[in-house]
Amino acid sequence: MFDDLPAWQAMLDRYQELFSDMLPGSCIGILPRSGTGLMPGKHLAGLSNAEFRLPDGKMLAWEISAEGSGMRADFRACRKFDEARADLLLVPDDAAFEEIRRNLGSDPLSTIKKMIRCGNILFFVMKTRHQLQDAGYEDFLDTLGLAFLGACR
Amino acid sequence: MTRPGEQKLAHLFKPGMFGKFATRNMVKYGACCVSNYNTRDGFITPRELARMRIIANTGCGLITNQGAYPDPLGEGKAYFRQIALFDDKFMPQFETIARYIHDAGAIAIQQILHAGRYGGIDLGYCLQPSVVPQTLPHFRPPREISRDQIRETVRQHADAARRSVRAGFDGTEVTSFMGYLLANFNSRFTNQRTDEYGGSVQNRGRFMRELIDGIKQATPDHPLVIRLNGAELMDNWGGNTEDECFELMQQAVDCGVDMISVTVGWQEAPESSIGRDIAPGHWNYLAAKAKKFFPKTLIAFGNRLPDPVMANECIKNGEFDYWEVCRPLLADPELVHKAAEDRLDETRRCIGSLNCLSRLFRDLPYTCTMNPALGHEVEPEYAITPATVKKKVMVIGAGPAGMECAITASKRGHEVTVFERADRIGGSLLAYATHDLARPDDLFSVLRHYEVMAKKYAIEMKFNTEANAKFMRSMLHQYDVCVVASGARVDMAAHKHLEGAELLVDAHDVALGRFQPGKRVVVLGAGKIGLVLGESMAKRGLQVTLVEEEKRIAGDVMPSFKWRHSAWVEELDIRTLTSSRPKRITAEGVTVVNAKGEETFVAADTVIAAGPRKSNQELFREFEWMIDELHGCGDVLIPRGMDAAIHEGFRLGVRI
Repeated sequence: MFDDLPAWQAMLDRYQELFSDMLPGSCIGILPRSGTGLMPGKHLAGLSNAEFRLPDGKMLAWEISAEGSGMRADFRACRKFDEARADLLLVPDDAAFEEIRRNLGSDPLSTIKKMIRCGNILFFVMKTRHQLQDAGYEDFLDTLGLAFLGACR
Repeated sequence: MTRPGEQKLAHLFKPGMFGKFATRNMVKYGACCVSNYNTRDGFITPRELARMRIIANTGCGLITNQGAYPDPLGEGKAYFRQIALFDDKFMPQFETIARYIHDAGAIAIQQILHAGRYGGIDLGYCLQPSVVPQTLPHFRPPREISRDQIRETVRQHADAARRSVRAGFDGTEVTSFMGYLLANFNSRFTNQRTDEYGGSVQNRGRFMRELIDGIKQATPDHPLVIRLNGAELMDNWGGNTEDECFELMQQAVDCGVDMISVTVGWQEAPESSIGRDIAPGHWNYLAAKAKKFFPKTLIAFGNRLPDPVMANECIKNGEFDYWEVCRPLLADPELVHKAAEDRLDETRRCIGSLNCLSRLFRDLPYTCTMNPALGHEVEPEYAITPATVKKKVMVIGAGPAGMECAITASKRGHEVTVFERADRIGGSLLAYATHDLARPDDLFSVLRHYEVMAKKYAIEMKFNTEANAKFMRSMLHQYDVCVVASGARVDMAAHKHLEGAELLVDAHDVALGRFQPGKRVVVLGAGKIGLVLGESMAKRGLQVTLVEEEKRIAGDVMPSFKWRHSAWVEELDIRTLTSSRPKRITAEGVTVVNAKGEETFVAADTVIAAGPRKSNQELFREFEWMIDELHGCGDVLIPRGMDAAIHEGFRLGVRI
């Protein structure tokens, strides 16, 4: 599913400015929903406990490298939710995943933003607001149209 | 019912019964959100008491005091300065509030609010039925509530209810709105438990039933209100369907609740529920459905229903029993009295700017765009008191800042004349309201309010009058005070270095219809002016590109409304070039250069300057030696927007 790692990296390279404030180790995880047991649009049963059935047991991780080479795409073993060790988790369903992959060469962040709003991508925050602020996530969250400090509408 | 409006809105103003308590009308002041006016450890402050004294006198039949968290740890605490009710030490101020409400002839309800997923604001975690991660960064990481903690939480709610009644409240309220602990148990999204509290709707509703039972046992002679979602708007996240929401209501009815307050949405729902982009009355069908299903249970409703006339009609049609209203009463605490006295045209409407919530989510005390005195009731400096020296006041500019100042000064007894260059009240607001995609009528209501109040207070309005030195010389010694409220303009001079700057069009001219743009438009500046204009043009089918020097668009937009502009920009396919500035303008288009120095040519037949903005301060210098007192308010000081204009106009008006 994630076999096109170079394409993901090329996409991240185009957006490096967006990640420029982020601290080394900052990590955004992408888990295909079909491998997590989260059924489309219905329930999140098993999110915290069940073992994932990810392709090759891998999660796609966008992580700021410690070597100063910006946001890098890589795989990370992830059998359970607890093992994700990401600050933010994006969980796209199959349709969203395909759409993102199709748009990797153009504007996938707009696709992600749209799909989050439509519910095709579940978006989870694993750190507190201050931790995310300190880690430099504000630009990224803003680009995804996510209210950083609350969103009662 | 002796007042003229009470006859007209007879269903709203008929007496009602809430449990054993008679209410004078069918209006319930809803505890829509907490004020954040109190101490960090949960004590009610003089600021809060002063506000509640105003709320007590709003004329509502039922008044709900804002939600108090019931647990000593603060796991249920949602806001930094939320009130607490887990100990008798908090009682004296609750007693005062209950007395205020009773003295004003209303029935007093105390809301008990355990925020669950949105709680633990002072802690490093929140409590939920299951560990479901947050979708908004504002909130705390989750911990699963144990069975023992559930029992303890029910007991804490019952204790808080008992204290409320001892403090003099007539009834209590528990709330799921908008995604609090009760909602977390009820919803499939946040309740993944496999024990008797999770799984089926019946099991998920168990916590609610135990809560109702616990409170009912603790306060058997006092009615209980439960706020429940008619729609969660969380379907995409696996939340409850509308049918499930109504199944849960049925359980509450079966448990003997005295009133269901029907609500809509969760904080983290991906769509609007109460914002300005939702038409008034949009959610009424949920209340009507509840009333149809549960005819013997009182139904209260008020989500995005700001209009007493519409509420009266709904009650007449049997859609609900009590109109639950909060934000409109924050905007105008006299609303119910104005309705009763048939003076609704004088109402200062809630325009749904959600300034209140924007501030709450920054952990600030809430304020109101339309009511500058909200939250300052305890301060004499914000009170409208008769002026010691009656003065002749001239106000330059009939925008929100000028009109607010003029009306406030008039109320104090000053003789006020407003001079306005245009032919009607409104200033910049008038120009841009027309282009607002959300609800122009909300913005126009502000102007209508000023028109009515100007007449009521006999403010002399001089339109088509350009204020300048010559004009001022003709006025010498006729006035004691001059208030410059001449707003701000697009700073066209800031672009004059540009090649082709003479081709630029002023956004204000386009907004007023003085200039008709072509089919392909570039707007320089993606702040609120550029956005409103750009969205309006795109909606009319024009091809719009926004060019913004900052990294993000909407820098000067109210935080709670930024997402709305972002969504419109996307829906209307408006191209945005951020971190970019124009380099050259020709008849064919604009060359734009980004932060890396890369150039892009954008074809356009019209290029509009919508920023930067510059205050119209020239009159200060011109008038300085021509009048005794010279003041300024609103955008003329620093360009900001309506909120600052209204607040500054008022603050100046109360102290001239």
